[in-house]
Amino acid sequence: MLLQGWDMHKLVLTLARAMAVLGGVMLTALVVLTCVSVAGRVLNGWLHGAFLQSHAPGLANHLLDIGVGPLLGDFELVEAGMAFAIFAFLPLCHITRGHASVDIFTARLPVALNRAIGVVVDLVFAAVFILIAHRLYAGMLDKMAYNETTYLIQFPIWWAYAASLCAACVAALVAVYVALARVAGALPDPGEVDL
Amino acid sequence: MTSLEIGIASFPVLMGLIFLRVPIGLAMFLVALGGLYLVTDGMSVALSRLKNETYSTFSSYSLSIVPMFLLMGHFATLGGMSSALFKAAEAFLGHRKGGVAMASVGACAGFGAICGSSLATAATMSQVALPELKRYGYSGGFSTATLAAGGTLGILIPPSVILVIYAILTEQNIAKLFLSAFIPGILAAIGYMITIAIYVRVKPDAAGLRAPIPMADRFRALFDVWPVLLVFLLVVGGIYAGWFTPTEGAAVGAAGTGLIALLNRGLTRSSLVDSFYATARNSAMIFFIILGAAFYNGFLALTQVPQELSEWVVSLGLSPWSVLICILALYLIFGCLMDSLSMILLTIPIFFPIISQLDFGMTPEEVAIWFGILVLIVVEVGLITPPVGMNLFVINSMDPKTRMIETYKAVLPFVASDIVRVAILVAFPGITLVLLRALH
Repeated sequence: MLLQGWDMHKLVLTLARAMAVLGGVMLTALVVLTCVSVAGRVLNGWLHGAFLQSHAPGLANHLLDIGVGPLLGDFELVEAGMAFAIFAFLPLCHITRGHASVDIFTARLPVALNRAIGVVVDLVFAAVFILIAHRLYAGMLDKMAYNETTYLIQFPIWWAYAASLCAACVAALVAVYVALARVAGALPDPGEVDL
Repeated sequence: MTSLEIGIASFPVLMGLIFLRVPIGLAMFLVALGGLYLVTDGMSVALSRLKNETYSTFSSYSLSIVPMFLLMGHFATLGGMSSALFKAAEAFLGHRKGGVAMASVGACAGFGAICGSSLATAATMSQVALPELKRYGYSGGFSTATLAAGGTLGILIPPSVILVIYAILTEQNIAKLFLSAFIPGILAAIGYMITIAIYVRVKPDAAGLRAPIPMADRFRALFDVWPVLLVFLLVVGGIYAGWFTPTEGAAVGAAGTGLIALLNRGLTRSSLVDSFYATARNSAMIFFIILGAAFYNGFLALTQVPQELSEWVVSLGLSPWSVLICILALYLIFGCLMDSLSMILLTIPIFFPIISQLDFGMTPEEVAIWFGILVLIVVEVGLITPPVGMNLFVINSMDPKTRMIETYKAVLPFVASDIVRVAILVAFPGITLVLLRALH
């Protein structure tokens, strides 16, 4: 059976980890982008300032001419990139049981009942992740139809939706795997949240 | 059923699901979906909301501060900042009665200044401080309880992820909230140290002693803390001075700690990947709860429950103070069962309208900030109250030799110190607001 093997689990886990690294790289890129923009804005302020304008106007204006300043619409890129990063973070959180839950009342219930709750939760989770991906797709189609662009950089918003959609599809895939593996009894009951 | 009744009925349903171990974000999502179905007679409203709801939640510029602060905390650990902090605090306090425990609290406070999460602070400092506490003969339960309590300083002392969420929910200024959290955070650290001093005098066998070390060595250890100070001043000072937005500040902080970790050779390819994993898990957990809460709160707003509830409370004509105390008591009770972020997201949209309609003799902004700090403290108490205190679980799992019940017993004096502090801050709002009033 395809689901019962250890290899299948390893494969999906590797996929989830790869997405997390991809999201981490995106997050790092956004951190760097934001810092460059802040540095540009601070430098721009100095170059326009009285001291440099009176002591080294040539250099100051030269630097201003080549575009030392804040990046235009940096926050639009941060928003688009962050959405992708969060969607890319979801699979690892899901497959490693990172979701916050309250197990104080269920701890005393019989094992079989706890197992049943776990199976139902994972099936519902898979359905919700599919729903989220599907609705994201519908949202993307809307943005395409109305040709919506961001305010400053004016890139089409549906690009950002499409990037997020790819990650959301992986999340849905992982959630379906977790649910099926749980039904097949190939995954242990989570018990309490491990961190 | 009217939509108001559906809105009210949704609350026990939600609680039931959560107590059946349905993950909190999922439970809120499902109840909102079902509630919208009933209130709007069909799925079309819910489905069309979902077209944009996830994307707009995950792409929120203000919320992008959260993964950045989480990454910053991991980089700070890799850069050796947690051990530098502990060594410095230990050099000055270690020879006192209970001094190594006090040093752990002090180091947690310092780490809280560059880390916005309680769990991360507690877990990070434990790696450094637990072996030392054991070495000097501190009892297992006392050591784990100290670190669990110290960890809550991570969120009380700015920057703080929970305060960012509160600021977004209530449309308050993040910089002003950070500023006002500062004195209550310091008071918390002092309160914990006093608790430790009393504890080791009542139970002398809970802690050992060590000889003092020379002054020169103490200051050498203190000097190693400069990167922490630099990053803190840059991030919190920069946000406050208006050099950059809180999100930009978080980015500068993450880049700064990353650079320091790189220079200290703490940042390798494998440790970087591990930080990505940890950041991914925590961020995804937080954002999924935020998504569920955003969806649920959108449904609640449609049913008018928050407005009706706050009008009802005001019409009762109770004294504002008794309403406030009831709300804080509710948080303390729920804090024994739920995590702080879920609680804030679930309750602030309901409680904040009530509080903002009551007259405490302060400006609306002052009330909002003061209430935010009080809520922050009481939900953080929830992290160390048995039976469900996340900090207790995390620290206890790092020390296999100590039984959970020992940690439970030893943490109670810390909880008591928290409650005393909340009472003081409720009675004297000026303590929280003094920095804000002095600087604006």
